Amino acid sequence: MEEWRQIFIHGMDMFNVVIVAYFFLGNGMYTILMVMSLMAVWLHNRRLAYQGLDEIRESPVTPPVAVIIPAWNEQEIITQTTESILRTDYPDVEVIVVDDGSTDQTLQRLMDYFHLVKMDLIYRPRLATRLVRGFYMNPEIPNLLVISKENGGKPDALNVGINMARTPYFCTLDSDSILEHDALLRLMRPVVRSPINVVASGGIVRILNGCRVEKGRVVSVSLPKSRLERFQVVEYLRSFLFGRTGWDLFGGTLIVSGAFAVFHRETVIEAGGFEHDTVTEDMDLIVQLHHWAVRHHRKIRMCFTSDPVCWTECPSTVRMLQKQRRRWQLGLCQTLWKHSEMLFNRDYGTVGFLSFPFHLYVEALGAAAEFIGYFMVPLAFLFNMVPPLLYLLFVLLSLAYGGLLSVGAVLLEELTYRRYPSFRELTTLLFFAFLENIGYRQMVLYFRFEGVVRFFAGFRQWEKVTHVGAGS
Amino acid sequence: MPFLIENIIKVVFALIVLIVIGNFVLIGLAISRRQRREKYFQRIDAVRAEFRPVVREVLSGRMEYQEGLKRLQQISGLDRHYLLEQLLLEKKPSPTEEPILRRLCEDLGLVRIWQNRVKGHVDTASVREAVGRPEGILERVGRLRFLIRAKSAENLGIIRHRDSWPLLVKALDDPHPDIQSVAARALAAIRETESFPALVAQLHKVVLDASATALSLRSVKSALVSFPLDCAPALARSLQHPNRRIRFLATDILREMVVREANGDDQYDLDRKRVGAEIVEIFLTQLPFDENPDVRARSAAVIAFLSDPRSTPALLTLLRDDTWFVRLHAVRALACRKFLSQASAIGQALSDPNWRVREAAVATLRTFGAAGLNQLTAHFIHTADAYSREQVADEFQRAGLIPDLLQRYASEDDSQATQVLNQMARMGKTGYLVSVLSADAQPALRKKFLLNFARNPDPQIRQWVERVASQEPDPDLRSVAAAALGAPSAAGEV
Repeated sequence: MEEWRQIFIHGMDMFNVVIVAYFFLGNGMYTILMVMSLMAVWLHNRRLAYQGLDEIRESPVTPPVAVIIPAWNEQEIITQTTESILRTDYPDVEVIVVDDGSTDQTLQRLMDYFHLVKMDLIYRPRLATRLVRGFYMNPEIPNLLVISKENGGKPDALNVGINMARTPYFCTLDSDSILEHDALLRLMRPVVRSPINVVASGGIVRILNGCRVEKGRVVSVSLPKSRLERFQVVEYLRSFLFGRTGWDLFGGTLIVSGAFAVFHRETVIEAGGFEHDTVTEDMDLIVQLHHWAVRHHRKIRMCFTSDPVCWTECPSTVRMLQKQRRRWQLGLCQTLWKHSEMLFNRDYGTVGFLSFPFHLYVEALGAAAEFIGYFMVPLAFLFNMVPPLLYLLFVLLSLAYGGLLSVGAVLLEELTYRRYPSFRELTTLLFFAFLENIGYRQMVLYFRFEGVVRFFAGFRQWEKVTHVGAGS
Repeated sequence: MPFLIENIIKVVFALIVLIVIGNFVLIGLAISRRQRREKYFQRIDAVRAEFRPVVREVLSGRMEYQEGLKRLQQISGLDRHYLLEQLLLEKKPSPTEEPILRRLCEDLGLVRIWQNRVKGHVDTASVREAVGRPEGILERVGRLRFLIRAKSAENLGIIRHRDSWPLLVKALDDPHPDIQSVAARALAAIRETESFPALVAQLHKVVLDASATALSLRSVKSALVSFPLDCAPALARSLQHPNRRIRFLATDILREMVVREANGDDQYDLDRKRVGAEIVEIFLTQLPFDENPDVRARSAAVIAFLSDPRSTPALLTLLRDDTWFVRLHAVRALACRKFLSQASAIGQALSDPNWRVREAAVATLRTFGAAGLNQLTAHFIHTADAYSREQVADEFQRAGLIPDLLQRYASEDDSQATQVLNQMARMGKTGYLVSVLSADAQPALRKKFLLNFARNPDPQIRQWVERVASQEPDPDLRSVAAAALGAPSAAGEV
């Protein structure tokens, strides 16, 4: 019996060491990202004063872009999203909506709204896809093409769009999203300006809930009413302004949100397009592009810019949030597992030595470690292995540090873009940033833990998050 | 061990205190900054509200210039120059406003300040602004001074300050990439002919030694294409450069310049005096035969605008090139009415092995109006090339020609229209036809179509006939459809 007790105590000791290491490693990295992002976003914001968007808009050298919108059962918002893209401020844009075998009125609403007629156009599938049923166009709106196809999932729908696109670059956009009028111009700025070939460029995704939308445009920005949505506002700020910017600075971009990103079409086709074996096809594509570049000895850049804004609806119920986060975590694990040869592989530079290990150990497995830690550390306390005061202090430290990161994200927003105009909204954001770590973070952690468990259980299904049309 | 744990507790406790203080500092920073900014912007808004109408009136000529200038000179404060900059450059000036705006900027001393800043000199206005604006000091700290310098270069470009071009040319070699990039844009906006060679030199640098400049190829190209065609002679050396990429880029830049000048006018004639005889000769005698297919391809559009007896044979040579994208550019370049006589040569491109060339050939013939459409239709009816037929059918649909075709079919005994419809039905390209017929087509058209096509085995036509037979309010049409459904299929024959 004593022997077993010793083994248990030893195990607990080891686990506690892991937890502490995880805490310091993860938070240390987050701190570095935060400090770097604070400087970078501030600087980027200053540089916008001479960004020369007019020049990009007017230059014949600016490449045309196809915006691909995959849609599955999005009858409530699809016309609004499509219209917002057709009115976007970009010199040459082609809009391709791919109806992925919707069972609702998605296709019919598009046909009615834009007066589309069925056409039997040529389909040249450079990327293999499910059967395409038909093409719908209105000759009066030649830059809009709606494609109806058999249900095959988001990656399949995106691949159909890539096959039909005629432009050198394409932009992926979620059907529940609204672009700011010049977001595409801003997103293409690094493509035009960078001396290195930019094959992927991502923008910031902000939360639409609470905002007022008119004719496919966000006309006034406000915080959502519900607490759950407000927490997500803070979370998105932290994730995009800190995380993505930080990794972009290191040259270790591993995630570009497929909700709003531009890709070089030919490179994506050569890299194999969007694949179906993970539930986060956007991250998977970015990793594939890293592979492609290494395989072909090509110098490419994948970047994130914090000023092109895409507004998207966030889950408004715990159930939907659970589905979303579970899927994100599952996809993260699947993608990292699929491309595990990149781990500490010197061919991949920063990605192989910094970004990939961070995403694997801190973002993917860290969720499991943190979740289990919530149970194991009290056990250690019960078994008198850790002094109660130390345990309590660690919990406090974790909460305070989480708060610091979230408050830092709100400060960064305040220093730069200030999308939430009233003073009251700023204080509300700060309050929720502080509060986020008590309850909300643990709930999301549980959802992420579920994602990890599902990964180890071999779960592969895409979970649909339904929207209610949050922008009023 | 207890000693160690006690120490750990102390460390963790200290960390907590530090982080909590950090939290409050960040919160305080956010709140104080918001308050400070609000106060600052209230002031800016007040200045804007008072002086924006003055600026507008002076620029539109409704207010006497001297009076407007006097009023604007009344703006005071540490950040006076910043406020003036904000007011004057709030929106892009129209061509008529530009000279007045330029004069205002000069008379208010802004141009001198901007020029000094681009040079990297510290001026009193900068020192005053540093104190007066929330971010003023940071923007002027050592390494961050490029922010203010780049903005100043941008401003000189916005007002197209011609005298500043030598300064901006010098800025092309500034150590900071932002200054280089903004200077290139500003030069493109000013379009001073003398600055063109400096940008061409940058283009060579980007290609030959990318590490020597931070400018991107697109940025330099974008700047160069903004210049007027009169600058073209400066590209002669690049068009004959031993580096194939430089030749390609120079050709492409000239192509963009010519296309911009033509502004969609397919009758546009490129004035050889403007581009220079040397350039014309290079385009007609060297570039169509260049070893680099990119050069050959990009030369086509320029050659098409040259009124020279050698231009058509050169284009036809390019149309027969071994490289598909050379043929593509050639067929696109021929999309001017003056090449109507070459329709048969273009028609041959309809059967090109590459689909993009076929597609371009269809689009080119479409630009020839009725004559081109007739040729397309005849080709569609008679060709045995299935790929080519597919391409033409695609264009008929995308261009929205189907309703017109059906009208022709209904109005008279247009055998060509009937043959096209037959061909489309045979190819299964009937979705659009059926949509038009299902919408609000005239009963006479629908009846004629039913009589001729109701027995066609095409599933989309079949479905439509079934719908007419069961749902059509017109009993006559209903009975025709029902009769067709009852009768044995005639395998697509009309």
